[in-house]
Amino acid sequence: MKKLTASLTTIGAGLWGAAHAQLTPGGIGMQPANSGVAEEVHFFHNVILMPIITVISLFVLALLIWIILRYNKKANPVPRKFSHNTLIEVIWTGIPILILLVIALPSFELLFKEDVTPDGKQVVAVGDGQTVNFVFDNDFPARRMVERGGHLQVIIDDGAEQRTLKRRADYGVEGFGEAEIVVSFDQPPAPGERVIIRGGRSKDSRGDIVMAPTMTLKATGKQWSWVHNYPDFGDFEVFSQMATEDQTTKELYRLEVDNRIVVPVGETIRLTTTADDVIHAWAMPAFAVKIDAVPGRINETWFKADREGVFYGQCSEICGVRHSFMPIGIEVVSRPAFEAWIDSQRELAGMAPMFDTNEMKLAQGSVDADAADAEQE
Amino acid sequence: MADDAHAAHGIDDHADHKPPFLVRWFFSTNHKDIGTLYLIFAILAGIIGGAMSGMMRMELAEPGVTFLTHFTGGNEEAAYNFYNVLITYHGLIMIFFMVMPAMIGGFGNWFVPIMIGAPDMAFPRMNNISFWLYGASGILITLSMFAPGYGSNIGFGGGWVLYPPLSSTTGSPGPAMDLLILSLHLAGASSILGAINFITTIFNMRAPGMTLHKMPLFAWSVLVTAFLLVLSLPVLAGAITMLLTDRNFGTSFFDAAGGGDPILYQHLFWFFGHPEVYILILPGFGIISHIVSTFSKKPIFGYLGMAYAMVAIGFVGFIVWAHHMYTVGLSVNMKAYFVAATMVIAVPTGIKIFSWIATMWGGSIEFKTPMVWAVGFIFLFTVGGVTGVVLANAGVDHYMHDTYYVVAHFHYVLSLGAVFAIFAGWYYWFGKMTGRMYREWLGQLHFWVMFVGVNLIFFPQHFLGLQGMPRRYIDYPDAFALWNQVSTWGYFITIIGMFIFLIAMIDAFFIYRKKAPANPWGEGATTLEWTLPSPPPHHQFNELPRFDKGDAKAF
Repeated sequence: MKKLTASLTTIGAGLWGAAHAQLTPGGIGMQPANSGVAEEVHFFHNVILMPIITVISLFVLALLIWIILRYNKKANPVPRKFSHNTLIEVIWTGIPILILLVIALPSFELLFKEDVTPDGKQVVAVGDGQTVNFVFDNDFPARRMVERGGHLQVIIDDGAEQRTLKRRADYGVEGFGEAEIVVSFDQPPAPGERVIIRGGRSKDSRGDIVMAPTMTLKATGKQWSWVHNYPDFGDFEVFSQMATEDQTTKELYRLEVDNRIVVPVGETIRLTTTADDVIHAWAMPAFAVKIDAVPGRINETWFKADREGVFYGQCSEICGVRHSFMPIGIEVVSRPAFEAWIDSQRELAGMAPMFDTNEMKLAQGSVDADAADAEQE
Repeated sequence: MADDAHAAHGIDDHADHKPPFLVRWFFSTNHKDIGTLYLIFAILAGIIGGAMSGMMRMELAEPGVTFLTHFTGGNEEAAYNFYNVLITYHGLIMIFFMVMPAMIGGFGNWFVPIMIGAPDMAFPRMNNISFWLYGASGILITLSMFAPGYGSNIGFGGGWVLYPPLSSTTGSPGPAMDLLILSLHLAGASSILGAINFITTIFNMRAPGMTLHKMPLFAWSVLVTAFLLVLSLPVLAGAITMLLTDRNFGTSFFDAAGGGDPILYQHLFWFFGHPEVYILILPGFGIISHIVSTFSKKPIFGYLGMAYAMVAIGFVGFIVWAHHMYTVGLSVNMKAYFVAATMVIAVPTGIKIFSWIATMWGGSIEFKTPMVWAVGFIFLFTVGGVTGVVLANAGVDHYMHDTYYVVAHFHYVLSLGAVFAIFAGWYYWFGKMTGRMYREWLGQLHFWVMFVGVNLIFFPQHFLGLQGMPRRYIDYPDAFALWNQVSTWGYFITIIGMFIFLIAMIDAFFIYRKKAPANPWGEGATTLEWTLPSPPPHHQFNELPRFDKGDAKAF
């Protein structure tokens, strides 16, 4: 197993363990979730929808069984003749409406969470024991401005642990909805403590603000393989086709690919899809992502993987003869491993390395620039 | 079949002036004969479509491509194509050539004029051309299956939705797709003519005093269906005509390279396609209402609510189409609208389910064959309906879309809903149409074997969908093997059920040969067809029934 993983990936086995399918043989539930959004999809389906539809179906079944036992010809030789009852008709119109409302509210919330790519950003400042005011640049487009407490999160990182502060109790804020938001403390953060200020409107299930994408992954469907590009890292290309039967295990056959794509764990990834010939669909059940790849269009969605590991999806729009044989294999790895992989891919494409892997500095994209601003305060 | 039975029965043959065979069956203008032709057509199409599902289930019985290669001389690539061809034509045949002809062409033609007290349809000759256009359409779709499609493969393998560019010259350059487009043109024209005929008949030829609010629910259901047909089919015709010109005459409606948009086709298609699924089920609602009322010996509960629930379903059916397209890249606000609109449909559907239950409540129910099919329908349609509510939520549909969960959902409402309604109607009216009774225990056995079989086919497909198995796959990872195998066993049980059905029919005509009385169902059967002999005379209602005296009702 390990050997196979090594032969199939470019940076070797061992970093993230052996690949295994997310599928349970004979399973009857959803594939294990590996993103906040997927967890919420599971919650919505498993805790809200499934129980409701099961109860409704069993209720109808119970009524039918009761009718069969109570109102058959032998048990009830003389039929009653009623044909109206306004009250009951109002009830069976009204109650379904209420049930649908119960479904609709979380449904909309989930939908917007899935479809609106997070744009959260953070500034990081280091306390010096004196500074009490920290500035967050509220340069979001008007629709997505940081306007109230829920859009802002302040975290103190003392090196050992991160602590989310409470507004009013721990800090005050001025300037919601304006270009500069000032976060002020009564007691200045201790020297060396990191003050992290996050702003944005997308939140995960724990209420934490989700950061804007740190990279874009571009997927192009073609009959019958996937091409993935990494435009932020030199636009090199990963061409992946289904692994043949002898390249993989029995368990992973028809899911495994010859070249997996690699993304960093815990970071928001913007996914864009398009197609060369006919419509395909990029699907990754573990992230609850499915988005069509349409020629002439670019679709966008996003995901943020919570755990490292290897995950599989399959083309989900009929695309011709070998539609069943163009899976997607994705490896979620740590940031350092991701950077090492990027550099190895760049090397293959004849480009210079991009990361100094000795220093292992977290690249925060545009966020780093904001951090510099904040430190000036 | 009506012919033999009728001759044997010998009712007013002398006054009936039945035309000779060729004129009667090929140039027919009689609504009952045309209805019979439609039913025969639907049975033949159903056998072909059912055999196709058998081939698919055989292939899917275990991982690996092992079965369809028998038909392609061991060529795996051709087998992949063949599988895609099977799913495509299975869908098209079952929708356009089985359910629609059976429900609307068959039962609609047979019983709408009788139920409203009319001697025939408004335009008998147009009725004839409607049927024969269907015949021509059937020939074209058959030719299409054997015409070159992609590369050296035959047939079009892209799903019944015919999405370009897979259906344009990019994905299917051969003439198979052109023949398919022309076939659908003819089927569409046929249905539009039929729908105009029904609307005209129902609006103008009801018996004196039969207001719309006294009209039987089956006639209501066909009326709503006819409006859906008239409003939606031209959009399909437009879309596939644009596809045809894209393919052959250099336009680029759906070709991004020429400034077009493949998604435009999907909007047009589903603007037709969503009403189409209500077209398939609404007449079934009408049939079930009559059967439930007849065998409960009670009037239909909430008649007006039932009628207007169908109108509401028909109306809302036109404004929910993009819920089939949640993953194509619609804006989030648009998806939110379609989520809300789609969930609204659950309300009138719930009204119908509960009204059927209330009709049975307090009844003195005889569980004869049509009634057990109807009760089976109510439960299975409920199961299919609630999974529809799950899929309506775009947030979850991003996970479920194009998985077996969707396949399970629409087979519960169609294969188990519409088809159960067809069988219910068939057993309900079989005596009326043929003058013969079937053997009761064979009908009951048919129901129970089918009930077990179809549930075994489709219930496990929910599990496959939740596990993420995409639909339209000829081959799948090993983890999906168990439920696919169970599903295939279910198919074999179902096919045994279908053989029982065929045996029951052969038995009814040639062995049992029991004559059907005018009204075999007793006091509960109140609609006009039960006032006529079985089978009805070639021309009925020489003297029109009247509903303008007292509070006489026709339901």
